[in-house]
Amino acid sequence: MKRRALLQALALAPLLAAGNGRVRAMPAQRVLRLGEPAGSPKRVFAAGAPAAVLIAALAPERLLGWPMRVAPEALALLPAPLRALPVVGRLAGRGSTVSLERLLAMQPDLVLDAGDFDANYRSSAERVWQQTGIPIELVAGRLPDHPAQLRHVGRLLGVAARGEALAQAAEAQLALVREVLAARPADARPTVYYGRGGDGLESGLAGSINTEVIEFCGGRNVAAAAGNGGLARVSLEQLLAWDPDVILTQDAAFAASAPQDPRWRSLRAVRSGRLHCAPTLPFGWLDGPPGINRLPGLAWLLARLHPGAAPALAPTVLHARIDALHRLLWGSRLPAGTADALERGR
Amino acid sequence: MRAGAVPRWAWHAGGWGLLLAMLLLAFAVGQFPVRPAMLLQALGSQLFGVGEPVPPTVHAALWHIRLPRALAAVLIGAVLSAAGAAYQAMFRNPLVSPDILGVSAGAGLGASLALFLGLPMLLVQGFAFAGGLAAVGLVCLVAALVRRHEPVLVLVLAGVAVSALLGAGISLFKLLADPYTQLPSITFWLLGGLNAVVADDLRVTAPLLLAGLLPLVLLRWRVNLLALGDEEASALGVAVVPLRWTLIAAATLCTAAAVSLAGIIGWVGLVVPHIARLLVGADFRRLLPASLLLGASFLLAADTLARTLAPIELPLGILTACVGVPCFLLVLARSGGRA
Amino acid sequence: MNAATPLLEARGLAIGHAGVALGAPLALSVQAGEVVCLLGPNGCGKTTLFRTLLGLLPAVAGEVRLHGRPLRGHDRAQRARLLGYVPQAAPLPFAWRVRELVAMGRAAHLGLLTMPGRTDEEIADACLHELGIAALSARTVDTLSGGERQLVLVARALAQQARVLVMDEPTASLDFGNQLRILDTVRALAGRGIGVLLSTHQPQHALQVADRIALMAGGSLQALGPAHAVATPERLAALYGVDAVRIAASLPVAGTPR
Repeated sequence: MKRRALLQALALAPLLAAGNGRVRAMPAQRVLRLGEPAGSPKRVFAAGAPAAVLIAALAPERLLGWPMRVAPEALALLPAPLRALPVVGRLAGRGSTVSLERLLAMQPDLVLDAGDFDANYRSSAERVWQQTGIPIELVAGRLPDHPAQLRHVGRLLGVAARGEALAQAAEAQLALVREVLAARPADARPTVYYGRGGDGLESGLAGSINTEVIEFCGGRNVAAAAGNGGLARVSLEQLLAWDPDVILTQDAAFAASAPQDPRWRSLRAVRSGRLHCAPTLPFGWLDGPPGINRLPGLAWLLARLHPGAAPALAPTVLHARIDALHRLLWGSRLPAGTADALERGR
Repeated sequence: MRAGAVPRWAWHAGGWGLLLAMLLLAFAVGQFPVRPAMLLQALGSQLFGVGEPVPPTVHAALWHIRLPRALAAVLIGAVLSAAGAAYQAMFRNPLVSPDILGVSAGAGLGASLALFLGLPMLLVQGFAFAGGLAAVGLVCLVAALVRRHEPVLVLVLAGVAVSALLGAGISLFKLLADPYTQLPSITFWLLGGLNAVVADDLRVTAPLLLAGLLPLVLLRWRVNLLALGDEEASALGVAVVPLRWTLIAAATLCTAAAVSLAGIIGWVGLVVPHIARLLVGADFRRLLPASLLLGASFLLAADTLARTLAPIELPLGILTACVGVPCFLLVLARSGGRA
Repeated sequence: MNAATPLLEARGLAIGHAGVALGAPLALSVQAGEVVCLLGPNGCGKTTLFRTLLGLLPAVAGEVRLHGRPLRGHDRAQRARLLGYVPQAAPLPFAWRVRELVAMGRAAHLGLLTMPGRTDEEIADACLHELGIAALSARTVDTLSGGERQLVLVARALAQQARVLVMDEPTASLDFGNQLRILDTVRALAGRGIGVLLSTHQPQHALQVADRIALMAGGSLQALGPAHAVATPERLAALYGVDAVRIAASLPVAGTPR
């Protein structure tokens, strides 16, 4: 079984490469295909949040259900077919919340998953395929691979044109990042702390996918000094010692309370107004889930980390750019509050 | 080592001295570098109004971050040890911890629920506190309804059963939680830690901790009598049932408050009373103050290690286990199984 | 209360659990300075009787009187000041020192929040001295032998300054020397004016130490009267279900000097 899957992946590689000579195709080891979808899948089950976001952007009418709870404010921004979808649970090895029988009952044509996967994950995917016979497609990759992911999944779902359009928009964002960073000297990279959780004292270590955007946009993650890995707790005293230039968060409550807290005000970043709360509608702009939802966040983050570094980062221009991307991705304009904040440069 | 060899005042001096030394050490070390001269300057200007005040960041690091955290560690360590010692006496078993009636499982469930619902941190603490009280209340209710010859055994069994049930509830929340946002929060809360303690938290929780400790301290001689067994104690003239409920209520109040503040910290309530018993003997009149002092120093030491060994926070529950388990095994081997 | 009022008295007492009586109602009394010994086979209800007399178990019918007043009329502390209990010496869960354990007997005389003071410590020391075990004062209870532990428990009951003591098989699992020591202590306490009710599985001990003996079987008393009149080989044979001749051979001769 494993050999067949690998052979299929390898066989597809030249096809992928030949698809569009202009850009990098998905490398063979980043795609795991188990089984063969018959024709173009009409009913797709998203195994996790990043995959759900992919499908919601590419072909919203194909999604069978949400693997996570989506807030009503977020649903209001998404295309109509997505608003009435039930929460069906995720498929994640031992951490699955959907039963295989329920999965079968939903009669999906394809199970799609996106994100990092290791040997353990791969083996549990194979197990699901053997038990249910439903084709599974695992698409790995981080931020730089998003254009290739969009093309690949677009082709898979039979919406290649849409996939191409989104991929080009993604490439435009990545190009902006390259352009801004190229103009910045290497030592002008600000130190950044990304605070998660209600008290802001949880962060991602070096190499964590949660803090990927920081390094990508030319910031230095202060928590990387603490080692490699996933998430960890930090103490405020440690933060005082690190004294980052910028503090990022996606938790609105924390962002509102920190400037009032005398302990947080001891930090330079809080005092100088460089504590930024990223929008989270319809999905987090920096993280949660770590998928293509981060594309609008790239430009936003660039403007916060390197203010005034390029004309493209001026508030009005930025607003227009992100609004256009938002409309392309989700078919709706930015919500009024976010648009307002962008326009004012906050 | 027999307790009678050293006079009582020496033990008190030793205990308080150790605590003060640990407190000074905790104040002096940390991830934010503060030179000794700066430290003295801070102490002088804040406490005695002598000398110039230190820079605001240093002031914040010392007085807003390190001091509340050290005080919290002192109070929580003292409370958990006292509760552990009281329960060990009440249940006539040196292997009992304050979690035996389910207070940690209940607090964990309350906190998991609050984190799952995305509530602010203050409500998470409140839910944890309420959960701890409710769990023990349920256990006592079950014990009161089941009329058997051995009320203490019924309490223990009900505690084990309710803890298991609530633990299953916690697991359920961990499964349903969003793995990117809520699950890490729940996991970190359950591992225990003092890195988020603020002076305001202390202002709210300290009265509860002290209110729970007070009955334990006042009634400490009577606790000896409970350890003799219900029948003997009753024959000696002790109102066993009201006394037991009072002690359980007091221990639960302060333990629930401690767990709501710091998460689930194990081993302190089990190991510290043992060590205290080795040092000062089994008489609860001396055992309780000894447990209080020793527990405060122990947790303060563990917390200081947790925040200085690595740039990231080591969960306190892990540290107390790593330090507590070898101590426990050592005590077990030396005493041959009986304290 | 006049000299004839028994310190501890059971009137028409039916003992049992959950309202079900074990046997017929019984009558028992203990006077000041008297030793009453309870004999009976395993399962005859001795433990139930003791627990009922001590107020630890409610009576199914009848009443227990302490110093002429019903037991229920005393509150627990009052009861403990008059009635003391010496349980069988079992290993204790914690290693208290002997002095501390004996001082626990003062609980009935102290307020809820009061701890033993100098007077109480002196009373405890005096009780230890009276029993000849003052040398054990600083030892911890886990280093004591069974007999020493039993004596310590007697000292604790003495510290209660109770007028009547109930002892549950004080000579059980003790060596010969310790058994004799306990019996001598019991007689000495009676000589001091304390009433003693004890149970034993050894009729020889009962005959040595008791003024009156009660025979118990099936939850009620079969006989109660002067020691040698009641504990005859025939009666004991009927009680224990053993051959009378065999019993006679193992008992001391009537009239052994005490």
